[in-house]
Amino acid sequence: MASRLSLVQGALPVFAALAILLLVWQFGAALLEIPTYILPRPAEIVATAITKSGLLGDALYVTLVEAVAGFLIGAAAGILLAVLMMLAPPVEAVLMPVAIVINAVPSVAFVPLVLLWFGLGMASKIAIGALAVVFVVLLNLLAGLKRPEVEAINLMRSFGAGPLGILFRLRFPAAMPQLVTGLRVGLARSTIAVIVAEMMGAYSGIGQVIYQATGQVDYLTVWAAVFVAMLGSLALYGVLVAIDRKLVWWR
Amino acid sequence: MNLSALARSPYASVVYVAVAWLVLVPLFSISPRYLPPLGTVIADARSVWPDLVAGFWRTLVETVLGFVAGTILGVGFGIAFAYSRLLERALFPIFVALQTVPVIAFGAIVVIWFGNTIMAKVVIALYLAFFPVAVNTLRGLELADPQRIALMRSFGASRLQLFLKLSLPTALPNILIGMKLAVALSIAGAVVGEWFGDTVGLGVMLLQALYFEQIPRVWVLIIACGLLGTLLYGVLAILERRYVWWRPD
Repeated sequence: MASRLSLVQGALPVFAALAILLLVWQFGAALLEIPTYILPRPAEIVATAITKSGLLGDALYVTLVEAVAGFLIGAAAGILLAVLMMLAPPVEAVLMPVAIVINAVPSVAFVPLVLLWFGLGMASKIAIGALAVVFVVLLNLLAGLKRPEVEAINLMRSFGAGPLGILFRLRFPAAMPQLVTGLRVGLARSTIAVIVAEMMGAYSGIGQVIYQATGQVDYLTVWAAVFVAMLGSLALYGVLVAIDRKLVWWR
Repeated sequence: MNLSALARSPYASVVYVAVAWLVLVPLFSISPRYLPPLGTVIADARSVWPDLVAGFWRTLVETVLGFVAGTILGVGFGIAFAYSRLLERALFPIFVALQTVPVIAFGAIVVIWFGNTIMAKVVIALYLAFFPVAVNTLRGLELADPQRIALMRSFGASRLQLFLKLSLPTALPNILIGMKLAVALSIAGAVVGEWFGDTVGLGVMLLQALYFEQIPRVWVLIIACGLLGTLLYGVLAILERRYVWWRPD
């Protein structure tokens, strides 16, 4: 009961800020007589989203499945690589250069390659989503794992803790905040990467809807698709926040 | 710099990857569809050298302008969020949602707003660079040790002094993490921004390479984007080593 009350209190400022934003937008756009093709009113966007809900819903489903699959694969790979590098320094020496070189390239530059390799279906979107996540998680987690002080590590060692004990009892808890940051940034990146890839070539998905609507100069549908994509990503983010609360409950 | 330090430096990683590329492609007879031989890629780069240099320069300018503006905005919002719970609760979730807005979806609209100028790409780069800097600034400021805050307060430190002498120095390493993430994102923003009607830039060349299925050209551009990222990352790393040598504790 108490937690439900605090949840409502937590959500209140967001709704207030959103309401103010939308009112300013709606009436500001009307007052300044901004034409629809430059900036449609929120009410028009929502109306379009509702009339095209069938098309947009199907597209959103495809995009979210791709983004979540990419995110999970990328995050798992990032965590695994970070643990491996922490436990085996030679692995870090070999793989870190490759990770640095690949990470220096923005993931959108890989979109053409991924499309040519995996085709226009879902596989190419999942691959690009995973690629967008893996290095953020790896670099954040590795930085977090290296944070504990040498004294604390030596103390645990003197009590007979092995490398695995130190990793899971000391380093992992210390690295949680950084891991959470990495996951949050990664989730946003994977959704964007998936939509970018869909815009360059796909059979379905939000990006594909946006690409077609842009071609038909139907900007209301573009805005509606963006709005729906935002709702979807917000839901994903909510799930992630709920998971982090469970992960870092001791803070 | 001794030999083992040189072997561990990021510059050496480029050499390792190049050597691996030279050795592994013939060794496993990897199809040029996946990874063409390094020689083919270099030859292709030489054949478009003037365009490549012009494109690199143009994308660099767009990226740097967007990155700097995004960093300033991100640090500003990070500080505002750290000092106002209400602002954080009200705006942070909205920013997260906005972050997932694919700006490129607005490519056509951004071009209507700002004209087909460099500004349109800078705005997209700024938009993408802003968020990781804001998140990391906020996390960094939250790391300040409450006991030290209490100690400094007991000596009569003002809020401004607390911020400048304790919170900000504690947060700086984290802010730099955010900036390093933002560099790659602002390059992505600039590249994607160019897809919407431009004639010069790495993004334009990337789009053309995709349409003509020129895989060596795609690799040339991936390397060019990587060089651009490494260059900017390197500048940040030098600044970090000179001015932010401490670690958060």
